[in-house]
Amino acid sequence: MEIGPIWRAMMRNKTGAILIALQIAVTMAIMVNAISIMQEKDRMMSRPSGLDEHNLFSIASVGFAKDFNERVTIEEDLAALRAMPGIVNAIQSNAVPLSGSGWSMGLQTEPGAEIDGTGVGLYFVDEHGLDTYGVNLLAGENFSASDVAWRERAATEWPDKTIITRAMAEAMFPDDWASALGKTVYIADTQPITITGIVEKMQGSWPGWDGFERVMLVPTHTLFGATVYLIRTEPGMRDSVMPQVEELLADRNKDRIVRSMRSMDEIRERSYRSESSMIKILTFTIVLLIAITSLGIVGLASFSVNRRTRQIGTRRALGASKLVILRYFMTENFIISLGGVLLGAALTVGLNILMIETFSLTRITWYLVPVAMLLLLAVGQIAVFGPARRASSVPPAVATRTV
Amino acid sequence: MFSYYLKLGLLSIRRNPLLSALMIAAIAIGIGACMTIITVNYVMSSNPIPTKSEQLFHVQLDSWDPNQPEDDGNFEPPDQMTYIDAMALMKAQKAYRQVASNKSSLVLEPQGDDERPFSVTSRNTWADFFPMFDLRFVHGGGWDDASDRNLERVVVLSKEINERVFGGENSIGRRVRLSGMDYQVVGVLDEFHPVPKFFDVTNGAFSDPEEIYIPFNVAVEYELPRNGNTNCWKPVDGDGIEAFLNSECAWIQFWAELRDNSEKQEYMAFINAYAEQQKELGRFPRPLNNRLNDVMEWMEDQEVVEDDARVMLGLSILFLFVCLINTIGLLLAKFLGKSGDISLRRALGASRSSLFIQHMIESGLVGLAGGVLGLGLAWLGLRGIEMLFGDFVENMVSMDWVMVLTAIGLAIVSALLAGLYPTWRACSIAPAGQLKLQ
Amino acid sequence: MLSMQNISMVYRADLVETHALREFSLEVKEGEFVSVTGPSGSGKTTFLNIAGLLEQFTDGRYELDGRDVSALTDSECSAVRNEKIGFVFQSFNLIPDLNLFDNVDVPLRYRGFNSAERKRRIEKVLETVGLASRMKHLPSQLSGGQQQRVAIARALAGEPRFLLADEPTGNLDSQMALSVMELISEINRSGTTIIMVTHDPVLAEMASRNVHILDGRVSNGDQETTAEPLLSQVATA
Repeated sequence: MEIGPIWRAMMRNKTGAILIALQIAVTMAIMVNAISIMQEKDRMMSRPSGLDEHNLFSIASVGFAKDFNERVTIEEDLAALRAMPGIVNAIQSNAVPLSGSGWSMGLQTEPGAEIDGTGVGLYFVDEHGLDTYGVNLLAGENFSASDVAWRERAATEWPDKTIITRAMAEAMFPDDWASALGKTVYIADTQPITITGIVEKMQGSWPGWDGFERVMLVPTHTLFGATVYLIRTEPGMRDSVMPQVEELLADRNKDRIVRSMRSMDEIRERSYRSESSMIKILTFTIVLLIAITSLGIVGLASFSVNRRTRQIGTRRALGASKLVILRYFMTENFIISLGGVLLGAALTVGLNILMIETFSLTRITWYLVPVAMLLLLAVGQIAVFGPARRASSVPPAVATRTV
Repeated sequence: MFSYYLKLGLLSIRRNPLLSALMIAAIAIGIGACMTIITVNYVMSSNPIPTKSEQLFHVQLDSWDPNQPEDDGNFEPPDQMTYIDAMALMKAQKAYRQVASNKSSLVLEPQGDDERPFSVTSRNTWADFFPMFDLRFVHGGGWDDASDRNLERVVVLSKEINERVFGGENSIGRRVRLSGMDYQVVGVLDEFHPVPKFFDVTNGAFSDPEEIYIPFNVAVEYELPRNGNTNCWKPVDGDGIEAFLNSECAWIQFWAELRDNSEKQEYMAFINAYAEQQKELGRFPRPLNNRLNDVMEWMEDQEVVEDDARVMLGLSILFLFVCLINTIGLLLAKFLGKSGDISLRRALGASRSSLFIQHMIESGLVGLAGGVLGLGLAWLGLRGIEMLFGDFVENMVSMDWVMVLTAIGLAIVSALLAGLYPTWRACSIAPAGQLKLQ
Repeated sequence: MLSMQNISMVYRADLVETHALREFSLEVKEGEFVSVTGPSGSGKTTFLNIAGLLEQFTDGRYELDGRDVSALTDSECSAVRNEKIGFVFQSFNLIPDLNLFDNVDVPLRYRGFNSAERKRRIEKVLETVGLASRMKHLPSQLSGGQQQRVAIARALAGEPRFLLADEPTGNLDSQMALSVMELISEINRSGTTIIMVTHDPVLAEMASRNVHILDGRVSNGDQETTAEPLLSQVATA
């Protein structure tokens, strides 16, 4: 290869080369860091919820009339729902996992106000809870109907049983999560509560919280005035069951309104909207950026070919074949791009460090850097191919033209 | 001379349509991307109440848990206030104006039989809320202190709800049924969409404002459901609403209007004295740490501008940078490509400075075109963001004239910066050099 | 050495046909120094382009060094140019971004010599044209005559069988022109076949034979000339 003369010729005309290299470098720094952010968002979104998500939906019921009898309404609603064809099971609860609203408490292994508990998302369910969520019980047993209490809005007493997730068990008993089963822990500083079951996985209400997978289920029906039903349907039946349920609940009782009926898929979508939007925006940005950089390479390479038409002709006259000319421009771009991606690697790491410090983002995965380098080298070669082809078709007779 | 340079610039842009299009596109895309994100950040960090943001203070009392681990060696006082403290501060009336408020979700039953009840969000607050936050009315006005004291069931409707329930008529004196009780309409608000919703960022800095306003005392008296964030560091001592009200649960946003620095000092002294007095009663177990933040300080403290938005801002500025490097390259190509023309002009007596002006004007023209196009792209970008994020960003995706001027200004400044080096190179082309042989 | 028989070259632009060469025939023997003259538009440059394999011709037969070159592919043409033909252009056509060494190096690279061989040849030819000391200079730092000497060095570096010169002194003043012409004559004496296109009859007569082209045809038959006395004419011109 004739790298030496190409290099020396390039050094005579540094600015163009430097501009392209710089552009490639910054493009790479943006690209890799953006991809790293996307990976982080994607990891966040792809955590399994543990629920039978595609067959779940929720609907809220809000009583408003003065003589609204919430307990009877709930009992009758649940009976009607559970009897409906297409429905596997249904529960009444205080909140819906992944929805962004809910109730959290602290559980502690010793009683006392001075002890800091482990934060946990809390859901009030009855003995149908596990089946409705579709979660997998690893140890212990489900609640029985006799465990289930009724709770007023301003009540402070807790039942004596709870089922927790394995993540919660691990947080409280880091040495041996399985040992949590049967243990008595304390809620509200001093009230004892016994762990009677451990489920494999279930996500709570707040995807951004580090205790997202720490969840406790409490055998209680709530009388808070507003409530939600969570309904699990037969596979594939959800969309047809949803309008029927809405109609059923709305017609059964005129002292309340039903609202916010949403499938679990929709709840997930809403909950992660900013993450998924960010992924889309960043993808778009990267595509746009690569397009701009390629256009820049095409523009500058074309200019360089135009400017050098005569010397290309001379080279052809001196015996350079088309392939040699093509290779000349491809090689030139390769050298420039190589400089660009090497600088880019440094910029990428620098930008990443800055982002980690400013926004507590995660570190980039190492392989992104070489992959991006290869990608941008390829982009450079593809972008310069057009102008290089044009250069190679400059006729050698150009050399004898005096004007 | 300026118009001559303009003409030359336009001619030159027309002469290489492809290269010019590439340059304009590069600037437009850079400006478009950048302005989209800048607009979102600008709206997120905008001052929701510019006329008095420095007189409105969010009040924080540190009544919190001494056992909670410290954050960076500091205790952070809770964002919201307990009922006991909010009531004490309301009763003391030490500020020029003060309001405690929280949020509820109620069911509104329209009068016609075929109208279905629907749920509305309610802000439960005090008479001072309306003058303090500069709310304007279409009909009537806020309620007065007497209504607060006497637990009068009065309601102020937002313009939208008045439209929905009363068809936009003057509904003053009419009755509205909310969660089983009648309220009398005393006022209908004009449009009110502060962005951010500064008076309650705890429950969503960019949420829609509440649809109706009722007296706080009424909401407490009738035990209306609380619909905002509630935080307790101590278990509630006993069942029932009384126990909850006397608990260490924080669920109230408290704001004070303090007209100058001396009022602020006095108020700070007052809340500190209050905290000391509570310490004697066995509350406020942590060291004294009460805060008064004005609106913008509070927005800053609450990190209302999300990290994601700031990351995007950084990336979009880098993006613009790439577009500028691109433009520098293309301008350089363009200017050096007409070196024959330049040396001819030099030979015919053009001075360096006149060539400099000529080429800077050409760069500026490219920037102007890119800016106008970029403005269009930014508008598209904002529509895209609206599509992706939905109602969450509804209030964040419109450009005001400040943003429009910023876009065009940024484009022209960028293009001039990009044009600087190529212009310098063009001006240093020797008058004879290019003429000799070709 | 070079044999052209009934070469025709027709340029077509829409409906208009331009005959640049019509049934053009020419024989050049090994070691000859042929000058080609003719008025503007007579077909000189076309002849040169065809002779140098820079352009394909429409019709006829062209043998170079005993080989029929009418059917060569583009890259075969490149190889022939590289090995057998040296070019000297009116406007030198040095590559402005490269220094003298690298300029002379260009055809050698395409030839595939190793670096020691290239270095030896470059130094030798630059020595021959008297510019060995300025190897690292850029073309723009040289006078026109010096630039043309570099161009000649570049043409000679590959030791071609024949040299095609296109108005080699056209951009030079007479002093420089003379020295360049001396160099070309010397090259011819050392055995290289030379074809030189010029519009200047004085220069043309420095060659051993003159070919006059008119309207795309050879018009004067082959005139033998003697080189020696005319050198002095150039000097006084």
